[in-house]
Amino acid sequence: MNTFLGPNDYKSPLKPIWCPGCGDYGVLQALYRALSAIGRPPHEIAFISGIGCSSRIPGYTTAYGFNTVHGRALPIAQGVKLASPELLVVVAGGDGDGFSIGGGHVPHAIRRNVDLTYLVMDNQVYGLTKGQLSPTSPRGLKTVTSPMGSLEQPINPLLTVLAYGAGFVAQATPADMPGMTALIEEALRYPGFSFVNIQSPCVTFGEEEQQLRAHKARMKPLASLGHDPANQLAALDLARAYGTELYTGVFYRNPEPPPTYDALVRLRQAELQRGEPRPRARVLEAYLRS
Amino acid sequence: MVPITGIDFERITLRDALDLAVLIEEEARDRYWEFAEQLATHDTPEVADFFSRMARIEDRHRTELLDRRRTLFGDAPTSVERRMIFDVEAPGYEAARAFMGVRKALEAVLAAEVKAYAFFNEAVPRVKDPELQALFQELRDEEVHHQSLVKAELARCPEKPDDSEAYADDPVAQ
Repeated sequence: MNTFLGPNDYKSPLKPIWCPGCGDYGVLQALYRALSAIGRPPHEIAFISGIGCSSRIPGYTTAYGFNTVHGRALPIAQGVKLASPELLVVVAGGDGDGFSIGGGHVPHAIRRNVDLTYLVMDNQVYGLTKGQLSPTSPRGLKTVTSPMGSLEQPINPLLTVLAYGAGFVAQATPADMPGMTALIEEALRYPGFSFVNIQSPCVTFGEEEQQLRAHKARMKPLASLGHDPANQLAALDLARAYGTELYTGVFYRNPEPPPTYDALVRLRQAELQRGEPRPRARVLEAYLRS
Repeated sequence: MVPITGIDFERITLRDALDLAVLIEEEARDRYWEFAEQLATHDTPEVADFFSRMARIEDRHRTELLDRRRTLFGDAPTSVERRMIFDVEAPGYEAARAFMGVRKALEAVLAAEVKAYAFFNEAVPRVKDPELQALFQELRDEEVHHQSLVKAELARCPEKPDDSEAYADDPVAQ
């Protein structure tokens, strides 16, 4: 039986409705190719998303998909992974979904180290709702909700996830399709929480210097700088340049990935099934006898 | 320079090279279909029709190459995959814009043909087998022919003000 799965095997019949020129088209294409490289069949993959343009991704794949509620993709994805640890779980969403309304979930998903891949399509604006300020909008950005320019310091997604201890942190742009595909594939293969910040420009409400043509001129692959992805301190230092430099590649990859939360949960379940009464059951028995 | 990913030009066979050429045409065909769908969805029907026509042209090229491959090698399995190539003859996603004109679309096609020429031109000196070299030269020269066709069409296409920056709806506050 021929089990080869090409990129188009992951493509659903639903047609994307993003604006022509949107960076998310490239992300989706890279994702199809990365999944083809991994070779897991669609029924072994689950895409979980929140709300936003990029959160439409689950519908465009043949894998299981759950387009959830705004900012809640990570908790639901963790539940999916714990309930069905055999699934390859991928979370997709935007910078607003992930670092504004869903920002409170990011540290906990990271510290638990649930084995999932979080792809953030960072376009520095709320595109779906027509161009409002987002948590990664640069200071001074003029939008409909900041007509005189943003007064806020943007969140730095790379520094945030590194500081919380994520084991795999990378940044990509659709301006470099081979590089982005390789990074997504590597993130999917990493055993633990992996994060890829994808600078996916909003062609309608984004700034000119954030578009793909500008990315092609600006991007600096970390590999060409001689960066060692095992060096967490160097990764933190490079991540500080978010918003000024466009570094692409792996910032940090834990050379010794710790056990994942889902693996630890399975161990605990095995312990509990070995017959020793659970502490809570003992307490309940004592209470009923009293 | 067009990135050449995952293709070992030292070891590539004539069969693989033909399969690669088929995949390159297939990728371009699929991209033009995607563009046609995008622009049809975003109220740009004239350019959607144009990209549909481009998709049919690329599909015809693909079929011709596929027939040649089958004549020479039958259904022998291939060792090249779609994920080894990236936008060789397919225009980049950034080339499409809502409300773009046909002229802009033609310019995007021309840029894609120039890119494809660069790919084959770069491949020619990297292969040693004379048959393979001849194939890549032939494919490269075809791109020159395609470029001349697009340029001729561009010369016939009137300059019109580009309204791709105009959108039906203005940004609003929530």
